[in-house]
Amino acid sequence: MLTQQIVNGLMLSAIYMLVAVAFTLAIGVLNFLNFSIPGLFMIGGMVAFGGLRLGLPWPLAFGGALGAAALIALAVERFAYRPMQGSDPETPLVSSLGFLVLLENLMLVRFGSDQQSFPALLADMNLRFGGLVIGIAQLISMALSVLLVVWLSWFLSRTNTGRQIRTVAESRETALLMGVNMGTLVPRLFVGSALLASSAGLLFAVNYQQVSPFMGEGVGFKGVAAMIVGGMGSIWGAVLGGLLIGLVEVLTISTVGANFVNISAYGLLLLILILRPQGLIGQPPSREKL
Amino acid sequence: MTFLSVCDLCVRYGRVEALSGVSLSLREGEIVTVLGANGAGKSTLLRAVLGATPSQSGSMIFNGQDVTKLAAHERIARGIVLVPEGRRIAISLTIEENLLLGAHLRRDMVQIKKEIEGIYERFPNLGSRRNLLASCLSGGEQQMLAIGRAMLARPKVMMLDEPSLGLSPLFVTKVFDLIKELNRDGLSVLLVEQNAGKALAVAHSATVLELGRVMMSGDPQTLAADPRLQEAYLGEAST
Repeated sequence: MLTQQIVNGLMLSAIYMLVAVAFTLAIGVLNFLNFSIPGLFMIGGMVAFGGLRLGLPWPLAFGGALGAAALIALAVERFAYRPMQGSDPETPLVSSLGFLVLLENLMLVRFGSDQQSFPALLADMNLRFGGLVIGIAQLISMALSVLLVVWLSWFLSRTNTGRQIRTVAESRETALLMGVNMGTLVPRLFVGSALLASSAGLLFAVNYQQVSPFMGEGVGFKGVAAMIVGGMGSIWGAVLGGLLIGLVEVLTISTVGANFVNISAYGLLLLILILRPQGLIGQPPSREKL
Repeated sequence: MTFLSVCDLCVRYGRVEALSGVSLSLREGEIVTVLGANGAGKSTLLRAVLGATPSQSGSMIFNGQDVTKLAAHERIARGIVLVPEGRRIAISLTIEENLLLGAHLRRDMVQIKKEIEGIYERFPNLGSRRNLLASCLSGGEQQMLAIGRAMLARPKVMMLDEPSLGLSPLFVTKVFDLIKELNRDGLSVLLVEQNAGKALAVAHSATVLELGRVMMSGDPQTLAADPRLQEAYLGEAST
C-alpha cells in the first residue's frame, strides 16, 4: 500500500518538478521570479481542453496548447519583463503576476469557473505488479517529464546556446562583452520555460482528468516551494524539490489526512528555509551577486 | 591604410559625459595604446568600440565598413574583440567551456577544436586543467585564458583593457610578450594600460585621454619624452 502511494506521489512529483524547473530557469538565468508560469501551466491544460471540445484530434489540441503558451511567453517577455529592465528586480515579478490574473480571467470568461472534466485519452489500461497498479498514462507522463529534464540538462551543459545561458546566469555583463545576443536569447529562454510549464499542465490534465482556470495556482506555488527546497537556479535542485514535495504530499494524505497537505508541504519549505536557506543542493549566493 | 577609425565619439552615462568627441585611428598590424588616469574614459572607449556601451554620436569605420550601428555580437563577428577589464572569466564554466564561449559565434567546429589545442600548447597550464572550473586558475592564468578566449573569436583587432592589472611581475612580462607575439603574427591591437612605460614600449602609436577628451596623441617615443605625460603617468615607475 505504501508502494502504491509512492507511485502516485511520483506522478505528482513529476509535475511539480517540471513547474519548478520552469521557475528555476527564469530565476537562475534572469533573476526573475516569473509569476506567469502558473498561468502558462493552466493554459497547457485549458487550451488543450478547449481544442478537444471543439473536436480537434489530440495531437492538434496539445500542439495548440503548447503553441499558445509559447506565444503568451513571448508577450510576457515583451510587455512584462523587457520594459522593466533597469528598474527594481521586483517590478517584473508584479507585472508577470498581472499576466497570471489576466490569463485566468480570460479562461474564466470563456469556460466558466467550474472544474471541467478532461476526456480520457488512453484506454484505462493498467499495469499490475503484484498489488501495485500503474496507469499507462501515468507511466508515459513520468517518462516524458524525466526525459524533458534530462534533455534540458544535457542542452545546458553541452551546447553552444547552453554555455551562453550559463554565462548569462553567472554575469550578464560578461555575456554582453562576449557578444551573447540577449535580444534573441532572452525570448528563447521564456519560450523554453513556458513549454516546460504548459507540458506540466497538459500532463496534469491527462492524468487527473480535470482542468479549471485556477488549476495553475496550487501547483504553481508548490512548484516555487519545490524550487526553493531544492535550491534556486539549480535544475537538479528543482528535480529533487519536486520529488520531495510530491512525496510528502501524497504520504501526508495517506497517513494524516488531506487537510494536512499544505501544512506538510509548506512546513517542509519553512524547515528548509530555516536549516538550509540556499536549498538542499543550492549554492550560497556568489560574491558577484551580493 | 586605416583599419579602424573612430570619429568624434560621444558617450554619456545619464548626465555624465564619459567621452566627448574622441577620435582615434589604427592601421592594420599596429599596436595602439590608450593611456590616461582613472576615469579618463579608457574602458568606456573600448566598450563603445565593441558596441557594448551605446554612443550618443560619432561614427566608426572598421575594415572599410561602417559599423556604427552594429550591435556587439555583430562587431565581434567582424573581428572586433575585447579582453575585458578584470578578465571576466566565467568561473562557473570549465576552462574549455570558456574557450568555446569565445568561439560561440562561429560554426566551424573542427577548426575551433584545432585552435583550442593550439591554445593548450601555448599555455600548458590551461591544457592540463581543461575540464576543471576556471575558478581554479590564478589571476595570471585567467588572463591567459581571457586572451585565449578572445583568440577563439578570430579577432582582427584585439582590444585589451588593462591586461596587466593585478598580475605578478612574471605574468606582466608574459602578457606583454604575448601581445608582441600576436602582433608579430599580424594581429592589430588596441591596448588600454595603466602601466604606461610598458605600453609605450610596445606600441606603434599612443593616445592619451583626459576627462573624456584626447589630450595628446602620436608617436610613443615622443609621448614618453613629453614632460606632461612623464609627470602624470610615468613618474618614478617608468623603468
